[in-house]
Amino acid sequence: MSEVTPEEELVERRMNRADLLTGIVFTVLGLAIAYWSWVMPRLEVRGIHPATVPGLVPGLLGAALAGCGIVLAWRAGAQGRDARFTEFFALFNQPETGRFAIVVTLALIYALVLVGLIPFWLATALFVFSFIFIFETWASPTPKPLARAALWALVQAVIVAGLVTVVFEDGFLVRLP
Amino acid sequence: MFEGFTLLGAGIAHFMTPEGLFNLAWASLLGVVIGALPGLTATMGVALLVTLTYKMPPDQAILCLMALYVGAIYGGSRSAILLAIPGTPASAATTLDGFPLARAGKAGMAMGIATTSSALGTLVGIAFLSLIAPLLAEFALRFGSYEFFWLALFGVLISGRLTAIDDPLKGYVAGLLGLLVAMIGMEGLHAYQRFTFGISSLGSGVDLIPAMVGAFGFAEILGVMKDRITPKLVTSDDRVLPRLSDLTRYWRTTIRSGIIGTIAGIIPGVGEDIGSWASYAAARRKSKEADQFGKGSVEGLVAAETGNSAVIPGAMIPTLTLALPGSASAAVLIAAMFIHGIRPGPMLMQENPQFLYQIVGILLLSTIAITIYGLSLTKLLVRVLLVPREKLMPVVYVLCVVGSFAITQRMFDVYVMVAFGLIGFVLRQMRYPMAPLVLGIILGDLLDVNLRRGLLISDGDVTPFFTRPISAVLFAVILITVLMSMPAINRGVANVFKRFSPNGAN
Repeated sequence: MSEVTPEEELVERRMNRADLLTGIVFTVLGLAIAYWSWVMPRLEVRGIHPATVPGLVPGLLGAALAGCGIVLAWRAGAQGRDARFTEFFALFNQPETGRFAIVVTLALIYALVLVGLIPFWLATALFVFSFIFIFETWASPTPKPLARAALWALVQAVIVAGLVTVVFEDGFLVRLP
Repeated sequence: MFEGFTLLGAGIAHFMTPEGLFNLAWASLLGVVIGALPGLTATMGVALLVTLTYKMPPDQAILCLMALYVGAIYGGSRSAILLAIPGTPASAATTLDGFPLARAGKAGMAMGIATTSSALGTLVGIAFLSLIAPLLAEFALRFGSYEFFWLALFGVLISGRLTAIDDPLKGYVAGLLGLLVAMIGMEGLHAYQRFTFGISSLGSGVDLIPAMVGAFGFAEILGVMKDRITPKLVTSDDRVLPRLSDLTRYWRTTIRSGIIGTIAGIIPGVGEDIGSWASYAAARRKSKEADQFGKGSVEGLVAAETGNSAVIPGAMIPTLTLALPGSASAAVLIAAMFIHGIRPGPMLMQENPQFLYQIVGILLLSTIAITIYGLSLTKLLVRVLLVPREKLMPVVYVLCVVGSFAITQRMFDVYVMVAFGLIGFVLRQMRYPMAPLVLGIILGDLLDVNLRRGLLISDGDVTPFFTRPISAVLFAVILITVLMSMPAINRGVANVFKRFSPNGAN
């Protein structure tokens, strides 16, 4: 067996807490699905066979998910005596989480707000520009000079927005949002 | 027998047109590039290309998708060798010996061997595809509702079991989540709308393509951008074209890895990564130079690359004959086939027998294409690897948005993509495999409808599910799979075997 480093042990302890939490979430979700399936209309008025009610399969699957959730949570509880939630939540203070948050914010603003609100090419150019600019300057371990990063990000943004619009609409005959 | 050869010849000839060759050339090159770029996977590439090709004639669209698939699985070896980062998960085992070879100044040789091994692996897989698929399709004609129910459940469970070797429970959870996603929307027996919560767009259910673009595209972007490390490129100018002796020396490994890869492909939802790892492990066990594995063994590289490429034709066997996806990318291919009016399943060989041989033809032509690209375009592909992720990932995300919108032209599908991206990312971080989830989404309807149809035929009696011969076998396999994944039972069985084996009795 190879040696386990302290770093790997920390990852395992965090995983243990994550398993405990997700186990509980899956149990609740599974039970909720099973309940919704139970109260789902059984279409008696249409005279369907009682073994073919629409809630049958989702109910069974919901119950199975709840079962798996209970096992997952129970196992994590039994194995993780020295795991702490503080260690797990410390995960959210790491630089990686910051980078993740930037990507998610930009991606959501682009897909949920900009696309549909302003012309597609403009939305795309704005998104590509801000993504490259932020990750080459503030969010980079080796930041580039602001003016140079901005110029190149702008050039790529214009090229991507133009190319995607032309290639998709005229090349592949796909309608854009 | 001869009819098979005639159909195969026709399958190849079908694509020997200027249009076919042009599509083959760009799609396989795009595949190699997508595969080579870390963060862009074969499944994501195929899912995005479905939206681009849906206005093409069906045969040309499938040609593009398959060529991209073959190209991407091969392309992953490039970054595995030069960057020590697998371009796609399929090339993880390639990294172990490919990168040490590159560091020893043999990058060219490693790239050459990876190319020829991938080509040979695909050829071994193709041979099995053309032999097994027609037989399996004929056998599958005996399947009724009872068998299809078990088959769908088997597909999800075996995929959950084998893609999460360390923790099968997470594989099963992923599969169940996929099956539950498939329950959303109108069900197939009484047209009742389930779990729509008043959202009319959910009435038709969650489409597979936007879900896949999210789970394999957006989730991957989040994963790639999160980390701060920038990889270093190692390359050299040695000879790329392998010598004939390099190819023939490991012929046993090639054939063994090809067979293992094909089997991994046939098992539903078990993809190239497992095929590659399994071939690698088997090669190390049998090798005379096992101590060299992981330090730059050519045999290890041969095993990994042959193993992952053989999965592609292997995966097409259940995909075409049972509509049971052999890998995650094959699940997208099934969705694409339905979009183009091709219905994979036991009836395919009756309704459209030439289609199987067209797939074989596409695979053969794609193999030739990747061999040519692999041995000639080394400089260009090195340049591709140098594209920084900050510049690449926003473009990929734009394609994810366009790709999920394009097919049905609803913004709702873009929201589905975003939701699956976020959920997929969180699940991946917690080591849940994605393949069973995908299989669940695609097999959920099959499982649901066939369970209830079976019960309707038997008037609510469940015994036919256990007494019909094929059903009984499938049920037994499922039961054993699930029981053996429970640690306590697994240990118990191992102890019993130890007690009865002559060497272990002490």
